[in-house]
Amino acid sequence: MELYLYLALFSPLVSSLFSALFTATPKKQFTGIVASGLIILAFVSSTILLTHILSGGDVVHVELMTWMATGDLYIPFGFVVDQVSVTMMMVVTLVSSVVHVYSIGYMDHDKGFNRFFSYLSAFVFSMMILVMSDNFAGLFIGWEGVGLCSWLLIGFWYHKESATWAANEAFIMNRIADLGMLIGLFLVYWNTGTLQYEQAFAAMPSLSTDILTWMGIFLFIGAMGKSAQFPLHTWLADAMEGPTPVSALIHAATMVTAGVYLVIRANPLYDLIPNVGLFIASLGAFVAFYAASMALVNRDMKRIIAYSTLSQLGYMFVAAGLGAYWVALFHLMAHAFFKALLFLGAGNVMHAMHDELDPFKMGGLKKPMKATFIMMTLASVALAGIFPFAGFFSKDLILEVSIIEHHYIIYSVLLFTAGLTAFYSFRLVALIFHGEERYKLFGIHPHEAYKFMLVAMSPLLILAIIAGSFKMTYFEMVTALLPATEYHVHSVAMYWIMTIGTQIFVILAIAFAYKKYAMSPVTVPDGTSKMENRLCYKILINQYYIPYIYQEYVVKPYRELSTIFWKEIDMKIVDASVDGIAKIFYSTGENTRTMQSGNLSTMLKWMVAGIVALLSLAVVFGLAVRYSDEIKVILSGLGVQ
Amino acid sequence: MLDHILSIIIFFPAVAGILGFLVQKDSVRAYGIAVAGIEFALSLWLWFSFDSSVSGMQFMEQLPLVPAFGINYILGVDGISVFIIILASFFTMIGISSLGETKDIKNMIVTLLFLQMTMAGVFAALDAILFYVFWELSLVPMLYIIGAWGGPLRVYASVKFFLYTFTGSLVMLVGMLFMAYFYYQATGVWSFAILEWYRLILPESFQLWLFAAFFLGFAIKVPMFPFHTWLPYAHGQAPTIGSVILAAILLKMGTYAFIRFSLPLFPDASVFYMFPIAVLAIIMIIYTAMVAYAQKDVKQVVAYSSVSHMGVIILGTFALNVEGISGSIFLMIAHGVVSGALFLLVGVIYDRRHTKLMSEFGGLAHVMPRYATIFGLMMMASVGLPLTINFVGEFLSLLGFYQQSHILTLLAGMAIIVGAIYMLAAYKKMFFGEVTNEANRNLPDVNKRELFALIPLAIITVWLGIYPKPLLEPINNSVKSVVQLMHDKAITDEAKSRIPSLVKGIEITKTSTPEAH
Repeated sequence: MELYLYLALFSPLVSSLFSALFTATPKKQFTGIVASGLIILAFVSSTILLTHILSGGDVVHVELMTWMATGDLYIPFGFVVDQVSVTMMMVVTLVSSVVHVYSIGYMDHDKGFNRFFSYLSAFVFSMMILVMSDNFAGLFIGWEGVGLCSWLLIGFWYHKESATWAANEAFIMNRIADLGMLIGLFLVYWNTGTLQYEQAFAAMPSLSTDILTWMGIFLFIGAMGKSAQFPLHTWLADAMEGPTPVSALIHAATMVTAGVYLVIRANPLYDLIPNVGLFIASLGAFVAFYAASMALVNRDMKRIIAYSTLSQLGYMFVAAGLGAYWVALFHLMAHAFFKALLFLGAGNVMHAMHDELDPFKMGGLKKPMKATFIMMTLASVALAGIFPFAGFFSKDLILEVSIIEHHYIIYSVLLFTAGLTAFYSFRLVALIFHGEERYKLFGIHPHEAYKFMLVAMSPLLILAIIAGSFKMTYFEMVTALLPATEYHVHSVAMYWIMTIGTQIFVILAIAFAYKKYAMSPVTVPDGTSKMENRLCYKILINQYYIPYIYQEYVVKPYRELSTIFWKEIDMKIVDASVDGIAKIFYSTGENTRTMQSGNLSTMLKWMVAGIVALLSLAVVFGLAVRYSDEIKVILSGLGVQ
Repeated sequence: MLDHILSIIIFFPAVAGILGFLVQKDSVRAYGIAVAGIEFALSLWLWFSFDSSVSGMQFMEQLPLVPAFGINYILGVDGISVFIIILASFFTMIGISSLGETKDIKNMIVTLLFLQMTMAGVFAALDAILFYVFWELSLVPMLYIIGAWGGPLRVYASVKFFLYTFTGSLVMLVGMLFMAYFYYQATGVWSFAILEWYRLILPESFQLWLFAAFFLGFAIKVPMFPFHTWLPYAHGQAPTIGSVILAAILLKMGTYAFIRFSLPLFPDASVFYMFPIAVLAIIMIIYTAMVAYAQKDVKQVVAYSSVSHMGVIILGTFALNVEGISGSIFLMIAHGVVSGALFLLVGVIYDRRHTKLMSEFGGLAHVMPRYATIFGLMMMASVGLPLTINFVGEFLSLLGFYQQSHILTLLAGMAIIVGAIYMLAAYKKMFFGEVTNEANRNLPDVNKRELFALIPLAIITVWLGIYPKPLLEPINNSVKSVVQLMHDKAITDEAKSRIPSLVKGIEITKTSTPEAH
């Protein structure tokens, strides 16, 4: 089994290095094919590992070599394939295989075709390190590695100012969170003496709650950055500047779920500190609602899906925070499938519409883009959580968890958000595919994507439909590692009321979205309609003014303070005082130069002055010798012998 | 020959440098590369014959100079110093071979060879006077390099550099004389041998004064806030090669001296001054990083980033435990490699455009993709991305200091944020966007001569990031003995508790992680 572990881990690296060889050359079709092949190889290896684990095989654990060893610290490159990491590996390799193949078509006309595959495979490699590592330090390698690849890929079209700006924003904001993560690692190391998951978690129950709480908080700060939780969320929407396959892979299916994975992985820690867990769940519920509300009015197709991702991450954190780790992981998996599908569909639409992102300028695309229409609709159905699609099984379960754990506020927020989710998803579908063909005004002739891109997307479509049926198999597998709490609503009547009620609520929201955007004529908003001038619309379209606040009250002051530090403090105070001291010496020399005028009478005067000075020194010295004992006493009191 | 390898490493370049005056101008470059190559091979030989399981001094040489005052010619290396010597000869080699069109190239090469002598001397000297001599001598070639080949403000910058560091060193010299005097009082014989000083236990009040005297000399050299202002001038005016050597090796003298002198000689004072110094280090990290962000000249960005990184090194040193000190020594090497490479990279663009202002650039990634790639790698290393060389040092330094103070480490950890801000901003200004300046449209990408210097640095950056063990293991062994010595020597209870005893520590390792080591 070790062989498959190495194959799964290193074939993305080989793929990345291979493509990197051709970065400076013009587009070569075969880099895309070879890269995709290697990623598929990783997928096949992961599948073999999954069947091995499913059939009750042992956890595969390897240690490649020592990374750092000094003092008591010992960090190896160790990798583990257990029930949790194999689930993540499946998600990562499956979605990235699809995205790689899809990208061969999507990046077809791009100058940086080879470079794109190099970055994309490097990302997969980092993500595999992140999920397969058997220690916190290895996790951190992957953590930073995906951050780097995300930076490279968001800023892939580096001639665009907005893209490079977004890339830097994402990297820096993630770095803020990484500091929390790093402090979390230090806490783990100094309190448990190791960074290996197994030993560290084993040592945790004997630590004081205070320390564990701090540990949990700092590690979660790290998770907040990668998973874009409030208040570190603004980068995710801006990250949509990257190519769409990147958004599908990194900013929907894999990297952003790394935070959730961290909480799931650290479940022995979070089990000991339910208060932090409750905070995580509350923040998750808040973000779920907060992000969904911004998606309601946004006019950028990709941003709407990004907010939806953010909102779904909130759901996952609710489950993880309430101790239902397996539920969180299950939703993570289901979400990866339908959200990646949604993004890839959006990519098809973008290509057809010549990179137009405003759904108000589309409409009626279901005719020319039938397959994309069906896929996006089904993905939205899955996202909305309609029976029997994937979202129904995973998302409803989170709602049940919150009610079983008696967190009714969280439950109501999540339920309400489920309605919002259905609304904004179908608002998007309605605007893009139904209604009048508004794009004709812009002289665009949309066309369907390449056949093989649609075929590449189909595994995601199938999984978005049927993933729910894996629930029991999956449950039996991961609960070997995660707490095996089954969440059943106690009374049967209550269960049916809840389930059917939710379904009806969601379907109503969908119907409302269709009525508003598909049945009635839609006008391109131009800032004059009544709705656009409402206060709440303004707040939502400006993302609650958070990016504005960051720009005005964090970025600008930082820049100004930097300039002040440089021009005022460094130059005018620190450096000037050094130069000032030097000047004193220079000017003393300059002034005393006149003494040496060569004029005999002045020289004689100075000589007399010198003799007087020397004589008085002699007197002082003589006195000092005479009273040396007393002086010694004083000096020793001062600490000088 | 192995018995005298340190002397050979020190004096071979100097002798070769003198002979270099006789070489014809056309062939002097080849001569310089050959000499530096042999010097580098010698230092590699030193590494291969170095026994990394020994924690003490190796290749010791001793020769009496002034026996009456205990001044001897004593050399020796341990895991702390050996890699900096190798790094110095490495940089001399790639520095000479990457020299572009330079006026008076013969003088430049001879100067660099002399500089190599002083650098090797500082890190190999085990006698305080000998150390001091090399320490001060190293100023002269650098003064000449900045003053003769520098920019328009070169005279001001070089004099400032010389006088500032020289003043600090004089105070340090007074400290050394006092130290020898105390040794004389305690034992009845004069000695300037550092290893003998190690055995001397001084009362805390003496330690505090002496520590302060040494501190001034070291702190200006590092340079620590608020003594850092000579550095931007020196870097701003120095030619590329001067900046490279200055950043890669000369700055490390200060931090190395802290570990060689201050910590083992004055353990109680080190604990006493730990928090004030940590605060200075944090100011260095955050404040200079912000100043770096405000710069318009890319070379100044790298110069200030050096100060910021030196802050992390100081912090790791004053963690006073094995993790932190090992990390800080590793970071010295790492920062040498990375900042040296960054200065070389700035030199590449300066040679082409004769300006370093970032506003003149923009969109360079279109024109010079290879240059952008190497710059990107080095930038990411400077930012401290895992699996690059810098991360190992930074991580260990911060990890070590976390044991001493949580809040201060949290503040110092801002290094990873502010570092990313100025570096990414600078990279964006230079490489991203469209090519707006016509002068940049047809720039040639990095040529073979430049790649010859940059590729090895890139390889080292990644190699030691993934596999730091060849360096970390010997460093770790030597640091362990330093920490144990400090613990044993410490008088105050505070110091005893702050500096861990390793005898106990090793037992804990054995029980908790049996597979370790």
